[in-house]
Amino acid sequence: MSDHQKVWPTGLTEAESEEVHRQLIQGTQIFGMIAALAHLLAYIYSPWLK
Amino acid sequence: MIYGKMWCVVKPSVGIPLFLSAVAIGSFSVHLAIVSNTTWVKGFLNGKAPAAVTAPAEAPSGKK
Repeated sequence: MSDHQKVWPTGLTEAESEEVHRQLIQGTQIFGMIAALAHLLAYIYSPWLK
Repeated sequence: MIYGKMWCVVKPSVGIPLFLSAVAIGSFSVHLAIVSNTTWVKGFLNGKAPAAVTAPAEAPSGKK
């Protein structure tokens, strides 16, 4: 049933869809790490939660 | 990868801007709420030192 060559309504194959998703997840992880670092710095150097 | 095939049915040109907008709007709203509802952000940005944490003054002990 799973045809890897099938082009779905969005114009992508399953492999291409997985690739888009991998990049989006990676971007989210990098954004999250930068945000966590920014929050750590804000916690240390600002009166936040003090 | 879990949900990896969602882009077979959601156009990336719609789904990705929607996702990024949700993150941006959510993040902006939280920060705006903090700036609007606290006083220390304004003070901090104007160079006010953080308030020192002090122990509450001990109540004067009266004679029993």
